[in-house]
Amino acid sequence: MVSIMEKQTLWLKSATALEPLPSKRGDPVLVIGAGLIGRLLASTLASQGHPVRIVDTAAGAAAGGGAAWVAAAMLAPLAESIATETNVVAQGYYALARWPQLLSSLPQPVFFQQQGTLILWHRQDAGEAQRFMDLLARVQNRLQELPAPQPLNSQSLAELEPALAGRFSQGLYLPQEGQLDNRQLLAALLANLREHGVEVEWNCPLDYETAHRWQERSGGWVLDCRGLGAQKEWRWGGPLRGVRGEVIRLYAPEVSLQRPTRLLHPRYPIYIAPKQDHLFVIGATEIETEDLSPVSVRSVLELLSAAYVVHSGFAEARILELNSQCRPTLPDNLPAVVEVAPRFLQINGLYRHGFMISPAIHDAVLEYIHQGCNSLAKQLGLAFETANSSNSVHGSVQVSP
Amino acid sequence: MSISKSLVSSFPSVDEEDALTLYGQRFSSRLMLGTARYPSPAVLEAAISCARPCMLTASLRRQGAFGRDTSQGFWTLLQKMGIPILPNTAGCHSLQEVISTAEMAREVFATDWIKLELIGDDYTLQPDTLQLPAAAAELIRRGFKVLPYTTDDLVLCQRLLDVGCEAVMPWAAPIGTGKGPLNPYNLRMLRERIQVPLIIDAGLGLPSHACQVMEWGFDGVLLNTAVALARDPVAMAGAFAKAVGAGRQAYRAGAMLPQDVAQPSTPVLGTPFWHQS
Repeated sequence: MVSIMEKQTLWLKSATALEPLPSKRGDPVLVIGAGLIGRLLASTLASQGHPVRIVDTAAGAAAGGGAAWVAAAMLAPLAESIATETNVVAQGYYALARWPQLLSSLPQPVFFQQQGTLILWHRQDAGEAQRFMDLLARVQNRLQELPAPQPLNSQSLAELEPALAGRFSQGLYLPQEGQLDNRQLLAALLANLREHGVEVEWNCPLDYETAHRWQERSGGWVLDCRGLGAQKEWRWGGPLRGVRGEVIRLYAPEVSLQRPTRLLHPRYPIYIAPKQDHLFVIGATEIETEDLSPVSVRSVLELLSAAYVVHSGFAEARILELNSQCRPTLPDNLPAVVEVAPRFLQINGLYRHGFMISPAIHDAVLEYIHQGCNSLAKQLGLAFETANSSNSVHGSVQVSP
Repeated sequence: MSISKSLVSSFPSVDEEDALTLYGQRFSSRLMLGTARYPSPAVLEAAISCARPCMLTASLRRQGAFGRDTSQGFWTLLQKMGIPILPNTAGCHSLQEVISTAEMAREVFATDWIKLELIGDDYTLQPDTLQLPAAAAELIRRGFKVLPYTTDDLVLCQRLLDVGCEAVMPWAAPIGTGKGPLNPYNLRMLRERIQVPLIIDAGLGLPSHACQVMEWGFDGVLLNTAVALARDPVAMAGAFAKAVGAGRQAYRAGAMLPQDVAQPSTPVLGTPFWHQS
């Protein structure tokens, strides 16, 4: 355990050391898109004294938020490490240390938990479990700082998660991983904006021409954080696509779980994320389509039977919501920041890792705005193309009229 | 997208005379790749440019394009890769589902080709052997070029030929198991008895498995999981492409017959006696 603590300090240290120092407090900022990353950046910039405008095409706060509104908000870089690249894992660990700092500056409490995650599997999916463990071991070799996964037998599982006693004979415990309440966070970010006199301008479609004119007048920064809404204007590294995810929200008074459980499944991992007051978020499917139609019966059956197998108390749960959304995703499934014109940034491709990595992207963008460099992005392996990059591969975006 | 001749002929061919011919269409590669479960579309694209398969299979149902706009997202990426797409009916459990999925695929991809998958058991994804010939017959009646995914049962494969299939795709092992040929006797019997192209579909895990079935005279292999879930899918795609080529070349070269007794490859007569001890 000592070594894990040490490792955590290491991440914390690097997070604190790179806290950007505002040097140009006054630059006005226009944020397009009031989803997670848009709100997060707008909220910090407003707190730092920047005049901030934030616009969104959604009708209002209830409809806004996009993928962030339905997400399970898992902060599980180790578990995700088997499905993504090392740099996203590094961004995830950086973000885990940053979340408590970011949340403490907000005017409303946000449920945040860091008690690890459980990995469980059905007997039929033992092959999937073996593959998961092999991949974990491989990632472990490449990123020595990661906490070691701990194998569980029925006894240690019962101690860790009493409600699951006797239900599974083996599993894995991934220490340090966490989760937060996505909707509390989105609301707290709005509240913080409001405290600094900023209201999201809902129902406000804004094209690049208008944004550019605003920039010319104000001399400020434009941050395009629209996710899939930026599809037409995205030019860098191939098309931006949507990957459908379906999520269920349950109220399950008979079920008490301490921490998120990830159930292995041959097609996509299923999370059971216990939020406060017996609220559970169960998801998500992962389907290569930009279909925003309601949740399919097949997905509901898969997600709910997974929950029921983990704990039969879910049979008496109440279904609060069935949601579907599309994750904004680039061809390599990795995030990217692109300066399409000086002081005009596109921030996109957070895919299934929005909550897991957004503090890292937030810090990298702020470092660039305030200090004009992208050393944090380089350190965390975040694709960050600046307008004066010598090897810049973008430039086809026409933002000037 | 139809399988255009220009696309096919744009691939460098190792041996023009040894092209794989399916329903009168010539293909220079004998490898087909599935498109599911890759780490990202970018990795899929790199794997494809490394292996240069003759066709890419894609599932309208499982990959979610069922009745949807495929002019965006993953499907544009797939079509841009420039390899003919072979839609499949993965996830279908009944004749009716197969037909509606196939018709949807024909409309979406503007192709008559269809890989017929009719699943009888969800956990092993074993084909529904009893319904398969009827499904193939109906698709052929509707003008499809059908490549049926089947078990290695000889009589079933013959029934598929009877209803008009011009190629058959027996499994080596259940989908995604990576076990390699489980029943070499059945597979070799199939090869001996069936004259149309036979493509091994499903169950291969290693390039040596692919090489083995190609040495037995199978006409091609179709893979997905063995490449997509490899540690390095791009390198593994290349390894499979080479194995398929090696197996094919070996089959055409004609293997020597195994002997029970060692035979020196150089004559013993004439070598100095002190070397003969």
